[in-house]
Amino acid sequence: MESFLSRYRNLIVLLAALLLQVIGLAVQVRKAGPTVAGSPGEPVVHQSKDGRGVLLIRLWAAGMVTPFERFFHGSSEGLNGLWNDYVDLRHIRDQNKELQQTIDRLRLEQAELHEDALQGQRLQELVKFRENYAYQTVAAQVIGTSGSSQSHVLYLDKGSADGLKPDMAVITGDGIAGKVRDVFLHSAQVLLINDQTSGAGVVLQTTRIRGILRGNAAGQPQVINILADQRIQPGENVLTAGGDQIFPRGLPVGVVEKVVRDAERGSFINVIVKPAANLQHLDEVLVITSLDAHLSAKQQADLATSEDLKGAEAAADAERKKAAAEMEERLPGLRDPNAPAAAGAPAQLGPDGKPVAATPPVPATPKPLPALHPDRFSPGGSGNSANVDSGAGGDASDAAPAAQPKSKPAPKTPQFSGRVQ
Amino acid sequence: MQTLIPGYRRDLEIRRYPFYVYVLVPLAALVLQAWLPRVVGRFAYMDLPLLVTIYFALNRRSPIHGTLLGAVLGMAQDGLTQGAIGIHGIANTVVGFLAASIGIRIVVENNIIRMVLNFAFTLLSSALILFIMRGLLGMDWQSNWVDELIRAGGNGVIGLVLFPVLDRTQMRD
Repeated sequence: MESFLSRYRNLIVLLAALLLQVIGLAVQVRKAGPTVAGSPGEPVVHQSKDGRGVLLIRLWAAGMVTPFERFFHGSSEGLNGLWNDYVDLRHIRDQNKELQQTIDRLRLEQAELHEDALQGQRLQELVKFRENYAYQTVAAQVIGTSGSSQSHVLYLDKGSADGLKPDMAVITGDGIAGKVRDVFLHSAQVLLINDQTSGAGVVLQTTRIRGILRGNAAGQPQVINILADQRIQPGENVLTAGGDQIFPRGLPVGVVEKVVRDAERGSFINVIVKPAANLQHLDEVLVITSLDAHLSAKQQADLATSEDLKGAEAAADAERKKAAAEMEERLPGLRDPNAPAAAGAPAQLGPDGKPVAATPPVPATPKPLPALHPDRFSPGGSGNSANVDSGAGGDASDAAPAAQPKSKPAPKTPQFSGRVQ
Repeated sequence: MQTLIPGYRRDLEIRRYPFYVYVLVPLAALVLQAWLPRVVGRFAYMDLPLLVTIYFALNRRSPIHGTLLGAVLGMAQDGLTQGAIGIHGIANTVVGFLAASIGIRIVVENNIIRMVLNFAFTLLSSALILFIMRGLLGMDWQSNWVDELIRAGGNGVIGLVLFPVLDRTQMRD
């Protein structure tokens, strides 16, 4: 037994190391259940379990590397200055005259100023973006990467101490960059949108076609699982759809670069997107810490003005309604005599405050009672009616309505009713 | 062929390094691997932790040492990514074991041999990672083999510079 162990010691150690790591993979990785946004055609997603062991290893690795990255990032400008102002200048001083040194120094200073100006412009863009979009953000510097070509991950110099949490959107002034994945105390890991394991809900601006954005093998973001559509053309803007609960709706993602047919499914296409943000050279980014509106002073002033205007408009509207109600009370109403009395209608109050009985409806077909002592003015009377000049040369029956115009009803015509004050 | 077979005691001896070299060199490889892509962008065609694994495995000529060093460095690499811990770990473990096994059998002082070995082991590492991603984890993972070939070539070239520098750190009797 001992000879067996000593003979195959190397192989046993190898198998043990591999077995441990495979078991570790199996523990970490599990098939995700159907998600809210999951669809039958969606690929199987694997998620890290974020157990304590996994987090510890990741914490150790990040803890080992990020201090050095932070140091390199912080001292890079100093090293550049040291190199440019001392080593490189001494070399130049040996080869050139005094005037040439001055010119070169000025050029170097100009380059530094240009760099400062570029950085200022980038920061200005971020500030402008922050003003345009009313989200609460934290500005952060990129200090490192994952160092693996299979993993498009960045490290930021801000962490949980600065309010960062997992699944927060990371953006630049040009467009979205990625989302926060793991957060440590003073650093955070950002998964870029061109990683193959990333995912963001996007919509094509013109065609309004929605899809999922993820990276491909070449490190380009692409919108996958889209049915072939001739309307999708290069140059179309791609925006965030807002349905993934990470990226706010309407943020620029990029433009359509080209459309390629899915090799495995002929009826589907993949839309290659040229990202709006320069993912290869990210220096400063914004992390959206809250989607709640965070208005600037100017926006708050505009909002107050808008509210005032809205209040004045509402007051004027109420005034108009009140005047209309008063006018309605002053004018006689039109009532349909055939309409049934509204049950439960509120009794009208008179001027003295007592309820006033509703005006009785006019009979539909009133007929005059026969006169006890008919004369020539009595309706239906004969005799002298021939003496009445109707102006139309008609007989007495034609003249009768002219003599009593109020007694002739028009059943279908609504009658004036109500009180006249 | 004669140059490839160790015929001298010097070729068979195990190279030893101070303890701080075992600590600082892998740490520097990890830090530079994470930091240099910030400087050179997408042209960072290299895998320094893998190169360090190969170097120590070839020169220590101990499969156990190469296996363990590859496992630790690979898992540290995984710790910096968003993926599962063990993807690079398994790949570097296998590469460390094979490099040490080869280091026992052939002379690894020749620069051309070192470059070829670095190129081949880098490609092997990429193939193992792809296998783990697709085979073990079942992920819908795509790989750009042109990039992998360029990275293997980059590792081969960087190894030509790095290995002589690391040779200077070994302990002399």
